[in-house]
Amino acid sequence: MDQAAFSALLAGAWTTAWISAIAIAVGVPLGLALALLREARVPVVGHLIVLYVSLGRATPLVTLVLFIFLAAPLFGFPLDRYTAAVITLILNTAAFNAEVWRAAIRGFPREQVEAARAAGMTRPLYFRRIMLPQIWITSLPGLVNEMTFLIKASPAIAVIGIVDLTRVTNRIAAVTYEPLPPIIAAAVIYMVLISAFVRLQRRLDERAHRLTM
Amino acid sequence: MSTLVVEVRNVSKTFAGVEVLRDVSLSVARGQTVSILGPSGSGKSTLLRCINWLEEPDRGEISIAGQRIGIRPDGKTLMSDRELAAMRARIGMVFQSFNLWPHLSVLQNVTEAPIHVLGVPRDEAIERAERLLDKVGIAEKRDAYPYVLSGGQKQRVAIARALAMNPEVILFDEPTSALDPELVGEVLTVMRALADEGMTMVVVTHEMAFAREAADEIVFLDQGRVVERADPETFFNKPSTDRVRQFLQRYS
Repeated sequence: MDQAAFSALLAGAWTTAWISAIAIAVGVPLGLALALLREARVPVVGHLIVLYVSLGRATPLVTLVLFIFLAAPLFGFPLDRYTAAVITLILNTAAFNAEVWRAAIRGFPREQVEAARAAGMTRPLYFRRIMLPQIWITSLPGLVNEMTFLIKASPAIAVIGIVDLTRVTNRIAAVTYEPLPPIIAAAVIYMVLISAFVRLQRRLDERAHRLTM
Repeated sequence: MSTLVVEVRNVSKTFAGVEVLRDVSLSVARGQTVSILGPSGSGKSTLLRCINWLEEPDRGEISIAGQRIGIRPDGKTLMSDRELAAMRARIGMVFQSFNLWPHLSVLQNVTEAPIHVLGVPRDEAIERAERLLDKVGIAEKRDAYPYVLSGGQKQRVAIARALAMNPEVILFDEPTSALDPELVGEVLTVMRALADEGMTMVVVTHEMAFAREAADEIVFLDQGRVVERADPETFFNKPSTDRVRQFLQRYS
């Protein structure tokens, strides 16, 4: 591979990284909001969230990204391909994240909530000071899992013409007639991206130890 | 202004068809320690949890220092989350299973509610927490996390946490029932000292010796009813009902 191939590869890696990063940054808190809304048991909203979560988890990314990219203009707001890709990944990962958060919320010990209520904390205060700092840590393994799945599933966005880290390997191979080197290079870059998350998770796992009482 | 800190009037409560509390009344004057005794399932804990509205009574009224809890002054509508929280900030509670917050250090467990509920400045809250931890004999653990503490230590931290709010009254829900026998003493010692200092306390317990020595009044519950109410001397030596005599026999 030559200089041009390398910079193409890095550009593809950058595309994968920033699109995934936005999807994660929005999808994690969005998943939490969905989980909280669902647990709040508001009649209609709760059902809509259940529907969204089951659709979001059941739809292949390729299908979803095509649908969003092609359907948006019909509803009067055409999306450029990058926006469509980001929205797709957000919708997908938030559906999975909502389930991870929900499990942590449901498993949260009642005793601790009672201690907070008895100490005069309002609901928002005990959520912020008592519940969130703990469910964040218990949810993290599941959330990191979803983050790595998201990065690994992200090549689906190539179907609407985005040149991500996987797509770029095809382009390089089309010029060099050597498909393996760019693919191996891409695999290494994926591993680097994902291992960053796994390292973060390990760091926070040490803190989680305290919560086991 | 009455000197009654806790006033429970004609409270009834049903859980899934079972009447756990039937027309229970109780009053606790400032500085008094009242022990609630009774067999398991008699409604002791439910009564205690109604006092700070962790359980909502079906009928009856509960007032804290003259102000009704749970229901607004109009006598009909329920208090909002915020109003209820403001009432609860004046009522301390110590739980059977300690219920410390595991993500916070011992010191932070004690300063959390004073800082974030009462708005006490951090320095002041820390200073006060250190004094209280010293008082319950656990000052050296201030930076430890709950998971390294023994049950007795956890419960003493929980007592300091309740005291830090400067409450009108502290509710104790079987505070020694989850402890190893040899750790019960250290918790009871702290509770006795509080009673002697004139802290207003309502204590649900199975520790007869504590009730006898530290309580000003004993209330005996059976099947959700107050069966007997007496000073400890009378209660333990000449109880007026057979039900209490029968109960006491098992503990002597």
